[in-house]
Amino acid sequence: MNEISIEQQKQLLVSVATDRDKTAFAAIFSHFAPKIRSYGLKHLKQEANAMELVQETMLTVWRKAHLFHPEKGAVSTWVYTIMRNQCFDILRKRQATKEDNYSDDIWPIFEQKLVTTSEDPSNEQLNGELVTLIATLPKNQQVVVKEIYLNQRSHQELADQLGLPVGTVKSRLRLGLQKLRLHLENDDAY
Amino acid sequence: MPTNNISFIKHHPSKQLLEQHIEGKLPLSMALAVAAHIELCPHCQQLEAQLTPQIANASWAQSKVAQRDLEQDINVDACFSAMLSDITESSDDNTSYHESEPLAIECKGMTYTLPRAFTKFHQLNWRNLGKISRARLPFEEAEVRSSLLHIGKGGTIPTHTHKGYELTLLLAGDFEDENGHYVAGDFILLDESHSGHSPKTSEGCLCYTVSNAPLHFTQGVSQLFNSIGKVIY
Repeated sequence: MNEISIEQQKQLLVSVATDRDKTAFAAIFSHFAPKIRSYGLKHLKQEANAMELVQETMLTVWRKAHLFHPEKGAVSTWVYTIMRNQCFDILRKRQATKEDNYSDDIWPIFEQKLVTTSEDPSNEQLNGELVTLIATLPKNQQVVVKEIYLNQRSHQELADQLGLPVGTVKSRLRLGLQKLRLHLENDDAY
Repeated sequence: MPTNNISFIKHHPSKQLLEQHIEGKLPLSMALAVAAHIELCPHCQQLEAQLTPQIANASWAQSKVAQRDLEQDINVDACFSAMLSDITESSDDNTSYHESEPLAIECKGMTYTLPRAFTKFHQLNWRNLGKISRARLPFEEAEVRSSLLHIGKGGTIPTHTHKGYELTLLLAGDFEDENGHYVAGDFILLDESHSGHSPKTSEGCLCYTVSNAPLHFTQGVSQLFNSIGKVIY
């Protein structure tokens, strides 16, 4: 199978997040599933557990795709952290009598896409940069990106509020995010 | 409580420990300690952010898919296809993600907000002995004991050594021993090779401790020390 580039992986995952694009998800799935199975066999020893790890990890990727920050790192790193957390919890459940999952408290990998007043200057800087970048988008796209990306409104909620079809909201969001990504990548080039 | 503003975290987990933490290889007791330290320490946050992509890439590179016989290949592929359609047909996760509220605990009339890593441990049973209070965390890790340890203002732990290792993560307040003065976030890992120490706190402190053997008191063995030893370990 051909490897997909880092950039292609990001585009695929963003399509999964914004459009629930099953074809894009299938591409991500075929890339990672055999690798996760192999990691699972190594760490969990049994075929059934390895398959459980593939399923739990990929289900989380499908469900939490909207919490992936393309500007913060590679898809492969994000998927790795999800797999590591699942594996940690599966191993502990096997050893312990309790059914608690601790991994998400130990490694919080799904950050909210909210502008919060944080005391971490790097976050503020990033948020500041993003807000400045978002302000360069056409008004239509600005509204959609801000509401969905920063204020976590659902596509449907926003569509109802603006009196637009959901498809229109999604395509504006996609266009806006594409522009933001291009900007961020150009910034990286300096 | 007043702390001077020029207090820096000086004691960090080793790079090796941090790498094992990122790989998910540490037992829960130690993973909690490293995670809580990272939360309190900007330096280690940065280090974790740098190391994680490296470790992820190295791990994917190792996950080479082994050559298998054809029959098994067909089975695995069939499993994968079924799994893929199950996932994409599953209902969407409409719950918006919220970070869990950090856990605030009370001990000896003081309120402390614990690092996020401790969120699930809200049922704490404190045992008190003088100025020392201890709440054991319910991990099932053989001889390893993990506790929250509170020492009230002016409290001291008598001089002791360690037969195994003793990790102390200072969560709030400050304390000092023969080797120096410690501030919130300091991650102090001692093994049996170090000479005895006796931590003292003037303003009171809250620590998370992990150890795999009882403390060994070196100043005479009185009933008192033995009972302190039982409370602390």
